[in-house]
Amino acid sequence: MKNKNPNILTMKRKETFAGYFFISPALLFYSIFFIFPVTFSFLISFKRWNMLRPLSSSPWIGFRNYIYLFTRDDLFKASLINSVIYAFVTVFLTLSIALLIAVVLLNIKYAVVWRFIFFAPIVTPQVALGIVWGYLYDPNRGLLNSILSFFGIPTHHWLTDPSLALFSVMITAVWAGIGGPLLIFTASLKGIPDLYYDAAKIDGANAIKRFWYITLPLLRPTLLFTIITGLLGAWQVFDLIYIMTRNAPAESVWVVSLYMYQIAFQSLRMGRASAAAFILFLIVLVITLIVLRIFKKGGIEGYE
Amino acid sequence: MVKRLFLISLLILGLSILSWGSIKLVMAVHWSDYQVNGVYDKNGNLVSKGLKQYVDEYMHLNPDVKIEIQSVAFDDYLKKILITHMSGKSADVYLLYSLWGVQLVDSGILNVPPRYISEDVKKNYVESAIKGTTINNVIWGIPIEVDNYALVYNKKLLKEAGYSHPPKTWDELVEMAPKLIKKDNKGAVKQYGFAFLAGWDSAVVHPYLSLLYSCGGKMLAPGYKKCLLNSPEAIKALNEELRVFKNGGTDPSASVWNFAQGTVAMIIMAPWYESSLKIAFGDKFAETVGVAPIPYIDKPANVSYAWFTGVDSTCKHKKQAWKFLSWLCSEIQPNTKTTRLGDLMAETIGAIPPRIIDLKNHPKQLEDVYTRTFIKELKHSIPEPNVVQGAEIKTTLMNEIVKAWHGEQTAKQALEKATKKINEILSEYY
Repeated sequence: MKNKNPNILTMKRKETFAGYFFISPALLFYSIFFIFPVTFSFLISFKRWNMLRPLSSSPWIGFRNYIYLFTRDDLFKASLINSVIYAFVTVFLTLSIALLIAVVLLNIKYAVVWRFIFFAPIVTPQVALGIVWGYLYDPNRGLLNSILSFFGIPTHHWLTDPSLALFSVMITAVWAGIGGPLLIFTASLKGIPDLYYDAAKIDGANAIKRFWYITLPLLRPTLLFTIITGLLGAWQVFDLIYIMTRNAPAESVWVVSLYMYQIAFQSLRMGRASAAAFILFLIVLVITLIVLRIFKKGGIEGYE
Repeated sequence: MVKRLFLISLLILGLSILSWGSIKLVMAVHWSDYQVNGVYDKNGNLVSKGLKQYVDEYMHLNPDVKIEIQSVAFDDYLKKILITHMSGKSADVYLLYSLWGVQLVDSGILNVPPRYISEDVKKNYVESAIKGTTINNVIWGIPIEVDNYALVYNKKLLKEAGYSHPPKTWDELVEMAPKLIKKDNKGAVKQYGFAFLAGWDSAVVHPYLSLLYSCGGKMLAPGYKKCLLNSPEAIKALNEELRVFKNGGTDPSASVWNFAQGTVAMIIMAPWYESSLKIAFGDKFAETVGVAPIPYIDKPANVSYAWFTGVDSTCKHKKQAWKFLSWLCSEIQPNTKTTRLGDLMAETIGAIPPRIIDLKNHPKQLEDVYTRTFIKELKHSIPEPNVVQGAEIKTTLMNEIVKAWHGEQTAKQALEKATKKINEILSEYY
C-alpha cells in the first residue's frame, strides 16, 4: 500500500475540492432552506415555545412533546390513522385507475384529447377543486345527491358525516390525481417493445396474461417512482381537507399536516407541532424504505 | 468622479436627515377593504369613512407622523402577529382580540398604556369591554369593539309557518325549529328551522356558553385552576342544543351563512353580521330580518367578547403611538360628541363601539332594528374568560361539541372529555 503515488493523491484532493467548489452554491441553498429549518424544528420539538417569547427563554422539556402525542393526544392519533388511510387508499386507487386508463388509451383514436381531459385537474389549484367538489357534495343542493335521489338511492351528508367525510375527500383526490401518473404510465407503456406482446400472443397468452406477465413487470421502475412520489404527496395533503371538511368532527377528517397547522398556529404550540412533524417524517421514511426494499427484491435498484 | 461621489453622499445624507424628522408607525388590522378604505357610492363619492380617512386626517394634523395600515384577513391575523414578531418586523399598533391578550401579555409583546389612557378606559367604557381589556388587573389598551349574541330570525319564514313572534325560551325554539323546515319531495332540505355552524370555534362555543350561562353554569372556576364543563348545568346546556338536532330542527350540514340566502329561519349571531345581511337582502332587509334576545333556558344570558387596540413593546415611538390611538379612539369630537372610532364602528363597520358616549350618540346606527337588541343585551352579557391558551381551550371544546352534534357521543361524554383536556391545559399555566 505504501507505493501509492503522492501525485495521484494530490490530484484526487484537488478534484474533490473542485467538486465541492462547484456544488457549493447548491449546498449553500440546500443548507439555508432545508438543513437549517429541519435542524431548527428538531430543536424546537424538545421545547415549549409559543413563537411569541424568544426561543432562548422557552423551557426545554425533553421528550415530553413526543410522549404527549403518543400517550395523551387522541386527536394526533386519529390524525395519524387518517393520514395512513388517506395515503394508502388514494395512492392505490389513483395509480390503479391511472394505469388502467393508460392501457386503454394507448392505442385508441384521439387519445391525446382524453389524456388532456384527465390531466386538466392537475393544473387546477387544489383550493378551487375543493370548493367545486364541495358544491357537488352539498347534501341538499349538490349534484351527487340529486343523482342518487333520482335513482331512489338514499342521499348522504358527504362532507359532514364522520364515517364518510374522509372518503369523500379521497374520491376528489383520486379524481384530481390521475392525470400525472397517467402521463408517466403512457410514456412507459410506449417504451415496451411490441415484440414481447407478439411473442406472447403466438404462445396463446390472452390480454390479461399479457398485462400481468409483460406489462406489469416491465413497468416496475415506473410503479416504484409513482408509488413513492404519490405517497410523499399524500402524506402532505392539506388543502383539500382544510377546504372541504371544516364542518366535520376533527377526529374523523384531520390528517397530520392539518393537525400540525392547527397546533402550531391556533394553539401556539410550535414544539408539539414540530414533534408531530418529526413523527410523520419517521413514518414516511420507514414506509418509503419498505417500498424500496420490496421493489429491490423484485429486481429494481438504483433508487437508494 | 470624486465630485460625483460627494454629491451622492450629500444627497443620501440630506434624505437621512429628512427621514429623522418623521415618525413611522405601522398599524396592523384584520378589517376588510371597505372597512379600511371607506364606503363609496356608484359615482365614487365617499359615503362612509374607513380607517384610512381617519389616518390621513391624523397625518395631516401631524405632518411628522407617517402611519401605514397593514390589513390581513381575520383567519391570518394572529399568524401575522406571530410571524412578524419572530422576524423582528412587528407592527407598532395592533387591533387585538381579547382572547389572545393573556398570551401576548405573558410573552411581553404588549406595552402598558400610559396612565391617562387606562384611567380613561376605566371611566368611560362598558364593563364587558373593560373586562376584555384587563389582564392580571392591568388595562392593556383601548377597547374598540364589544360583541355579544342574539337570535337573528327571518320574519317572513316565521310568518309563513304561522309564527308572529320569535321564540322567547329555548323550549319554544326547539318546538318551532322543526316546523320551519322545508323539504322537497325527495327529502332534500330546502329550508332549515335553525342553524349552528361547525368548524369555527367562536360560532360553536359562544352560543353554547350563552346557553351555559342561561343554565347558571360557568366554564372555568375562579383563578382558572379548574374547568367546570362537567357540571350538571353544562351538560344540560349541551343537551338543550342536541334537542334541536333530535327534534329535526337542524342537522350538521346546516350553516349560519345560509341565513343570508333566505334558507335558514333562525340563527344565533353577533352584531357585525348586519352589514352582510343588508347587502344580501337589500331593500327587503328591514321587512325580512328580525333580532331578538337569545331564547333562554333558565334565565336570560349572553356571552360577549371584546377587541382592543394595543401598542407593541418593541415600538420605537410608543408615546406617539398612544397619542394617535387616544386621538382615534378616545378624543370626543365637539360637533358630534362621539369618538372617531365610535363613528367608524357604528357607521362603517357595523359593530358596537364600547365607549358609553358612543353608545348614546349614535342613535341612528345603534338604535336600528338590528343593533338595538344587541345593545340591550349587553346587560346580560358575560365576557369570555381571558385565560392562557384561550384559543386552544376553545378549539378543544368545539371539537367535542361538534362530535356530540353528529351523535358520536353524548353531551356528558363530550363535556367530560373536554373538561379533562382543558384541565390538562390549565394545569400547565395555573
